[in-house]
Formats: sequence, C-alpha cells, structure tokens
Amino acid sequence: MGRTVRGVVLVVTALLWLVPSWLLVVNSFTAAADYTGTPSWWPASWAFAGNVAEAFDRANVGAGMLNSLVYAVVGALIAVVVAALASFAVVVMPVKRPALWFWAIYVGTILPLQMFLAPLFSGYATTSLYDTQYGMLLIYAALAVPFAFFVVRNYMTTVPREMHEAAALDGASWLRMFVSIHLPLVRSAMLAAFLFQFTWIWNDMLFGITLSTSPNVRPAMAALADLTSNYSNVGPPVVLAGALVASLPTVVLFFAFQRFFTRSLKLTS
Amino acid sequence: MTVLTPAAEVERPASVRATGPARRSPRSVLAIALFLAPAVGLVALLMIAPFVDTAYRSFFADNGFTRTFVGLDNYVTLFTSAGFGQTLLNTLMWVAGTLALPVLIGLLIAAGTHELRWGAVARFALVLPYALSGAATAVVWMFVLRDDGALNAALAAVGLGGLEQGWLLEWPLNTVVMIVASTWQGTGVAVILFLIGLQAIPPSTIEAAKLDGATGFRLFWHITLPQLRPITVVVVGISVVNSLKTFDIVWLLSKGGPGTASETLALTMYRETFTLARYGAGAAVAVVLTVVVVAVSWIYLRRQLRAN
Repeated sequence: MGRTVRGVVLVVTALLWLVPSWLLVVNSFTAAADYTGTPSWWPASWAFAGNVAEAFDRANVGAGMLNSLVYAVVGALIAVVVAALASFAVVVMPVKRPALWFWAIYVGTILPLQMFLAPLFSGYATTSLYDTQYGMLLIYAALAVPFAFFVVRNYMTTVPREMHEAAALDGASWLRMFVSIHLPLVRSAMLAAFLFQFTWIWNDMLFGITLSTSPNVRPAMAALADLTSNYSNVGPPVVLAGALVASLPTVVLFFAFQRFFTRSLKLTS
Repeated sequence: MTVLTPAAEVERPASVRATGPARRSPRSVLAIALFLAPAVGLVALLMIAPFVDTAYRSFFADNGFTRTFVGLDNYVTLFTSAGFGQTLLNTLMWVAGTLALPVLIGLLIAAGTHELRWGAVARFALVLPYALSGAATAVVWMFVLRDDGALNAALAAVGLGGLEQGWLLEWPLNTVVMIVASTWQGTGVAVILFLIGLQAIPPSTIEAAKLDGATGFRLFWHITLPQLRPITVVVVGISVVNSLKTFDIVWLLSKGGPGTASETLALTMYRETFTLARYGAGAAVAVVLTVVVVAVSWIYLRRQLRAN
C-alpha cells in the first residue's frame, strides 16, 4: 500500500517535471516557417538541424562554445586546486583564527553577483583585461573558488587526524603531506566541485555579456543572448535549438558523472 | 563520519589543528601564507574589492558623468521609496518559497528513489533542468506562462478553462509562478545533495532501527532525518543565499513588472544601476542586499553550530 502510493507520487512528480523539458525539445524541432506563435505539444516538423545551423550562423554560438569550453575546464580546474590548497591551510595547518579565513573566502558565495558588474567593468577597462580571454578566465576562476572551497573544506574535515599525525612524525613537509595524503583522499570532493563549477561557468551569461564583445572571447551563453536580442529576432524555435545544443555538454557531463559522484562522495568508503 | 559537515564546524577545528610538521615555526607561517594566498587573493581582488568600491559609491549621487557626495541620501531615498516595502515582501516570498519547495521536494524525491531500482529514471527528470542554461529555461517558461501558452491551453483542454489567466500579469500570482519555475530548475541540486547524505548513513544504523521495529514513516522521521542534518544545513544554507539573490528568472520572465510589482532586491539594484544609470542609488541597494544576505547566513550557520 505505502509502496504503491510512493510509486504513484514519484511517477506523477517526474512526469510533471518532464513537461517543460518536453516542450523545449519539441519546439526546437519546429521549422521557423511552421511556428504559429503558440507552443506546439507535438513535433510539427523536423527542422532541428536547420534551426541549429541558423543559430550557429546568426550568432557565434560555435566559437562561443569553444571559448566556454576553455573557460569552464581551465577556470574550474584552477578554482578547485586553489580551493583545495586553502582548505588544507584552514583545516590542517595551524592557522590563527581559521573561522576568520573561512569567512574571508566563503563570503564570495554570498555577495550578489550583479554588484560586481560596474566596478569590474571599469577595473577591467583600466587594466586592459576587458574583452580578453585571460580576463574572462581570471574572473571565472575567482568566482568559482568560494563554493569549491566550501565543498572541499567540508570533506577535508572528515580526514582522520591520525593520518597527518603519522606523516608529521615521519618529518614530511606540508606540501608533501598535502600532495600524498590529503589530495588523494579529497579527490572525489574535488571532482564534485569541479562539475558544479564547470556547469556554473558554462551557463554564465552575466559576466560574458558585460566583460567581452569579440566573437573569439565571448562565451556561448553570451552569444546565445545575441540571438534573442532585438536586432536578430529569429523566433523561439531557433533560440531553443541553439540553447539545447549549447546545453548538451553540461547535460552529458552531469549524467556521465552523476553515478560516480553520488557513490564516491563518501569519504568512508 | 558523513560528508559535507556544516560550514559552522569551522568554529571548532581545534581537534584537528594542533598537529603538523612544526607548530607555527617561521617556515610554517610562510607555508600557510602560500597555501592561503591564491584563494584569499582571488576573492579579495575580484569580489571584496569590487564590493568595497560599490559600498563607497553608495554615498554619492552618480549618473556616470558627475559624482557628488550626498552622505546617506541614497539609503534614505531607498528606505522611504514607495516600492521598497513591496520589494522586501517579494524577496521574503522568494526565501519562503525556495525553502518550502525545492528543499522539501528534493528531500522527498531523494528519500523516495534512493533504494528504488528505477529511481535513477525519476531522478533524471528532476536533475535535467539543472544542467540547462538560464536562456533555455526562460524561453520554455515563457511558452508555459504566456496568455496563449501551454498552461492555459492545457487548462482549457481538460475543461478548466475558467482558471485560465495571465499568469505573469498580476501580483502576487506572478511571483508565485516564478517561484515554481525556479523550483523546476533548482530542485535537482537538492536531490543530489540529499542523495549524497542518504548514502552516507551507515547501513547498520538503519538495520538496528528496523530490528527495533521502526518502519516506513517512523523510520524516516526518527532515524533517517536526524542523520541527514549536516547535509540539510548545506542545502538550506545554499537555498537561502540563492533565493535572496534571485535575479535571472525574474528578469527574463517579468522584468520585475508589471511596473515594479514583482521586483526583488537584486532587480531593484540592477534597474537603478543599468536602466536608470543612478549608480549611487544602485550601489546603496547592493549594500543593503549584501548586509541582509550576510546577516541571514551568519545567523543561520551560527545557530546550526550551537545546535550541534
């Protein structure tokens, strides 16, 4: 009885959740000419490839995806390594006032992002970082640090104390202790943080449209935003097709790793 | 021990801390500085410095060309403006809604599918939207909520045409449906985090409770839920911060309208700064918003620490 109720609730919830996703896919297949102005529930035509081609043609989605790939991979990687170093300092090393340092980094997840835009824009303009790939990498890596730090730090607190006491008796240096003991143990937490931050950087539009203009610098979501803006109004099917293709990397990555990291996040196992 | 212990635990790492190669020798101090410098440097330079700059600007009347010192005028104008109460109310609705919906649904789905063989399929449906971009989400929800959109069409099709309405046109309905849209996208994170928490519960704990005769709801309420506490702190903490910062979905679906009826603090800040070019006023909103978010997070994490 209870099992049946649970099954029904789960199926209904899952189906409800799939409705908007279904609309997204179906309407990205509609040819621009067949689009009536109202969303369709069933595919009216099979123009997905054509819609994608138009999206790539009108806005620099292709180049944008390459840029985003660089930013998301390198940015998230830098952030995770930097976060692991800081976590080690706060959790293992004899820091004075660890809570203060924790908040100094964690506060980055709290500050509302829109408030960085104006100061960053003028700062980037005066330092010639505006509209450069280095500038984009720098801001993405920095923005990804606080949350990665939060995740990795919490895992590192579960590393048994005996492990580094033993290493300390052996006379290991801090760096060797970090690399040979803690880094391997928090590897899965770092992977989880990497995936969350990769997804975040990949999906960012705000900093992309604010800090870049050139096609060889703009990330994918900023390029997609051009599609919806006034001067190239191409209709929802093209926008959806472009958005769907641009979302594929994160969807694939997420589901490829979901099993891995829901299982391996346990430090104890 | 479980993963993801609450952030609050920073307050008592003394048990882990007093060991190491050499306790606070000059070399250790240098090492600590080198380990901390990249993270603290990046955050200080690209987040805290812009914040301080914004806080400084909030004391000026600034239209982008001229800047004059006005003291606390921007704050006084903000607190006494007609729309401010409404903005606060909306922000409060977002916090309440985001705490009630994604956290609760995430917990139920994670607990319900955790031991189910086909559970991964149900979870797929909920996690998928999280991987989608904000642009795709906005277009799809426009489809659903427009006057001639999918929701009204579906209501008419099942004979509930009387319920058809302009979902985004009237407050408080527009704020409620936007909270639903945001729930659709954000619940996946809660599902994943709760799943991690569930898998970290030692099977022996559950088995012992079952031997004592606990089953079904009682098992969940008295055994599983308390064990999920550390992860719940993380999920709730993230939800509160994100709901206070709500921007994208409102900006894309209703632009804060009609008028400013569905504005949240983050939207007011954006409108003042980028639409009206009143940089000082926008900065004042940013400071107020930051103070609120930091205060709420700090109170919440502190409280969790004491409760532990």
